[in-house]
Amino acid sequence: MIGNVRRFEPFGEAPIRVIDDDGRWVAPFACDIDVARQRAIYRDMLRARRFDERLSTLQRQGKVSFVASAAGHEATQIGAAHALDATRDWTFPYYRDLALALALGWPLAEALAQQTASRLDPARGRQMPAHPGSAALRIFTTASAIASHVPPAVGSAMAQKLAGRGDVTLCSFGDGATSEGDWHAALNLAGAQGAPAVFLCQNNGYAISVAFRHQSGSADVATKAHAYGMPGYRVDGMDPLAAYYVTRQAVERAREGLGPSLIEALVYRYGPHSNADDDGRYRPADEVAAWRRRDPIVRYRRYLEGRGLWDDDAEAALAAEIKAEIDDAVRANAGAGRAPLGWMFDDVFAALPPHLRRQRDELALTHDLERDGH
Amino acid sequence: MALQTIVQTVARTLAEEMVRDDAVVLLGEDVGKRGGVFLATEGLFDRFGPDRVIDTPLSEAAIIGAAIGMAVHGMRPVAEIQFADYVFPGFDQLVSQAAKLRYRSGGGFSAPMVVRMPAGGGVAGGHHHSQNPESHFVHTPGLQVVYPSTPSDTRGLLRSAVRGQDPVVFMEPKRLYRAVKEELPDDDATIPIGQARLRREGDDVVLISYGASMAETLKAADALAAQGVSADVIDLRSLLPWDQDLVLERVARVGRVVVISEAPRTLSFASEVAATIAEEALDLLEAPPVRVTGFDVPYPYAQDRAYLPGPDRILHAVQRVLDY
Ligand SMILES: Cc1ncc(C[n+]2csc(CCOP(=O)(O)OP(=O)(O)O)c2C)c(N)n1
Repeated sequence: MIGNVRRFEPFGEAPIRVIDDDGRWVAPFACDIDVARQRAIYRDMLRARRFDERLSTLQRQGKVSFVASAAGHEATQIGAAHALDATRDWTFPYYRDLALALALGWPLAEALAQQTASRLDPARGRQMPAHPGSAALRIFTTASAIASHVPPAVGSAMAQKLAGRGDVTLCSFGDGATSEGDWHAALNLAGAQGAPAVFLCQNNGYAISVAFRHQSGSADVATKAHAYGMPGYRVDGMDPLAAYYVTRQAVERAREGLGPSLIEALVYRYGPHSNADDDGRYRPADEVAAWRRRDPIVRYRRYLEGRGLWDDDAEAALAAEIKAEIDDAVRANAGAGRAPLGWMFDDVFAALPPHLRRQRDELALTHDLERDGH
Repeated sequence: MALQTIVQTVARTLAEEMVRDDAVVLLGEDVGKRGGVFLATEGLFDRFGPDRVIDTPLSEAAIIGAAIGMAVHGMRPVAEIQFADYVFPGFDQLVSQAAKLRYRSGGGFSAPMVVRMPAGGGVAGGHHHSQNPESHFVHTPGLQVVYPSTPSDTRGLLRSAVRGQDPVVFMEPKRLYRAVKEELPDDDATIPIGQARLRREGDDVVLISYGASMAETLKAADALAAQGVSADVIDLRSLLPWDQDLVLERVARVGRVVVISEAPRTLSFASEVAATIAEEALDLLEAPPVRVTGFDVPYPYAQDRAYLPGPDRILHAVQRVLDY
């Protein structure tokens, strides 16, 4: 509900759209997003795409060990991020949510430090690349284990409900995640508790090589919401404004105490699952090309231009700003060194127990604990 | 015959078993068209079709649980868990169902099946692509556990696992998947589960290991040889049941032993081996058994190589038992 107007009905036939492939407004209501936010959505998409591209370059140069590209998912991630109140809500992301985390305010320099496990990473280089998280921003640190974050996200929403301040939790995952038992247990609990949670499924049609029709006998993901007593919405995930408006409705609903929602955003990952994958083995090149032609950045730029909110000068200035930001971050990070060997023993517990102290001393017999990890 | 890697050996052995016995089916995430993310099932989908090479939804509980249900019908399912780290959503099926089925039914039902899983670190994979969870399985009565380190052992043990009577957790050393190559004879030989293999003979110290750590253990043995120290090297290959006879016999002969495993130390399989040696052969030992293991921390990302028991840490431990 937006201002007590419910704009979107759940379980609709066609995916919800606000702008069409050519960037024309097609929704039956007027745009009420302020101009600054409309431009910020574009900036966030372009910035995420450029950073994603740079990470792939760094991966090819051997400076980043792994990349799970979000290219093709930006509209959904960034539209959803803009529907949250980043000063109070919580987010439980998965590994492909770099664009989401950046749009929520995760500093790009910190994101880069995470990808490279540098000494500048506030999470102390503990995880492989593509694992966003920020305690300061209430972005729950990503775990690789698919769907393992969904039950904790429901607990977060239950805590918010008990606190009674109207805060919400957004939990994001891929279509593959919807097959795990933890996913079903979590949605069931959220429904039973009326927890203020928004479940965001980024359905890119594949879980690595497994096409959605082999993932589930359901026609789509949104329909699964029926079983758990919550509304399910299918959204054109290449439309940032559709992602924004539908997430906003789900967030408002949760804030008002009306319980959880499930959003299925139809997206596509342009690249392979990760740099280790070979997507030519399981999907046709023309399918990839067809989706790329619907690129959300191009489409949304057309929309902004149509409203007189964007032009070539703005584009050039933004591109230069983004390049400078990324270049600066890469330069600063390159000199920072990697998380040192000794850090391996910290944070297992709040305090270092005696057996770990002994093991650390043992490693020091053969290794310099101050040395960069490798 | 060309040289074969471990991962090629897995695919080839699975194909041979599927030809030999129609009841053998494969199931797991991406095992079909993709041929598995490590290509351990490459070519099998095209050859045997979607009914026998089943791309499942992303649920380890469904994969392992369905394998149990197929097994009680007399099928021979071989389930793939994409990474050993992802077995945990299916852990309940392994522990509560597969491991106890024969026992709780007084032998009325059983679940002969194989659960394959690439394990081990050294691949820059962080917490969830590097772990060695063998202790969880070994600690679950009713599961057999193997962890070979060469193509020929992989073949002989996989044959035994597929043809056996009980559920087998088949751990594969992903770091060695393409690093160790062998020519494989055209035979149908099996290797009994529970039999270790003597990889080197030596008189000064016994090195005992298994799985991916075998590579580092052999490197350490080479380095020791260069220093004039001769090491006996045992590859356990099977962890449950394990070859206590061979271990005790070699340890009794040499009197000094170092056990190497990359799993975290506390309750590691290395601890079990060391405890058994202490209990059974204390009076024959010249020095206490020493363990070289991973540390008791979640598998780290940036400190991968220091975490793994490399030749440096193994040599240090050997010096300790030699100097004792
Ligand atoms: C519990 C678990 N099992 C298996 C994996 C290995 N794995 C990593 S990503 C992936 C596919 C996930 O697909 P999906 O949820 O659709 O997200 P996408 O990558 O398409 O964005 C798999 C099987 C894992 N990370 N966790």
